[in-house]
Amino acid sequence: MPELSVSMAVRKINNEASAIDIKGDLTAACEDVLMDAYSQATGDQTRALILNFNELEYMNSGGIGLLVTLLVRANRQKQRLSAVGLNDHYQQIFELTRLNEAMDIHDSEDAALAGAGITT
Amino acid sequence: MPTLGRETICTRVHGAVAGLGDAYSSDAKEHSLITEFEVPSEMGNERLVMDRVVDAVADSISGETLERLKTAVSEAAMNAIEHGNKGRSEIPVSVQVLDSDGGIRVRITDHGGGPAQTETDTPDLEAKLAGLQDPRGWGLFLIKNMVDEMHVSNDGELHTIEIVIRSDGHT
Repeated sequence: MPELSVSMAVRKINNEASAIDIKGDLTAACEDVLMDAYSQATGDQTRALILNFNELEYMNSGGIGLLVTLLVRANRQKQRLSAVGLNDHYQQIFELTRLNEAMDIHDSEDAALAGAGITT
Repeated sequence: MPTLGRETICTRVHGAVAGLGDAYSSDAKEHSLITEFEVPSEMGNERLVMDRVVDAVADSISGETLERLKTAVSEAAMNAIEHGNKGRSEIPVSVQVLDSDGGIRVRITDHGGGPAQTETDTPDLEAKLAGLQDPRGWGLFLIKNMVDEMHVSNDGELHTIEIVIRSDGHT
């Protein structure tokens, strides 16, 4: 197996919201890392989760599949998933796959929080 | 395999189509070979294929057109590694990059010939979220939506996907 070239840092914004900073390559090989990050980011009161793609270098279909899996988990917990920092290319892919309909796309973290009705 | 430099080769193709299970386009045009190489069928090597194709075409295309080509090439290479050669590292995936009359043509060949692969369901996000489809299965969908043409050939032994992207771009 190739060495993983991704890191995911979890930031608790407040009791209701957390962010995951995704740096590097998002592929199927990242499943454990992403799901661990999700578990760390989620508390009893968490209702908004922001995926920060500012430092994303590469995402393939396996990575998209992981986002679908994450959406399923978040939906079950009635959490709102948002994405910030997507470049034009990955925004296009989100539109093609309709991920943009299941996940809010914002220009900034503040906008994502406002979209989820969360004040900091 | 080292870069061979530019030489002219002839594409012999059959049946103009743009879908899985179909052969190359009907034209028999001349294309200039920019480079060709092989990689072992190891997970993650799709990234290597993508990077080498980018190096080869960087003078020809850029911006969003290049981004679309990168995604299509990496997905095609990943399919070849995972499904065509079933991850057997001793079996190489072969790649040709050609200059194609105002665009770039990339051929990715694996040893997954034999019975034609059938196209699975078109990925549907709602079905995936409802657990009715596998969360994965976006690869071919992405390729088709990233490129201007996609052709597939299968001679019983070798399976080749050919993708074409024009330098003026489109989706």
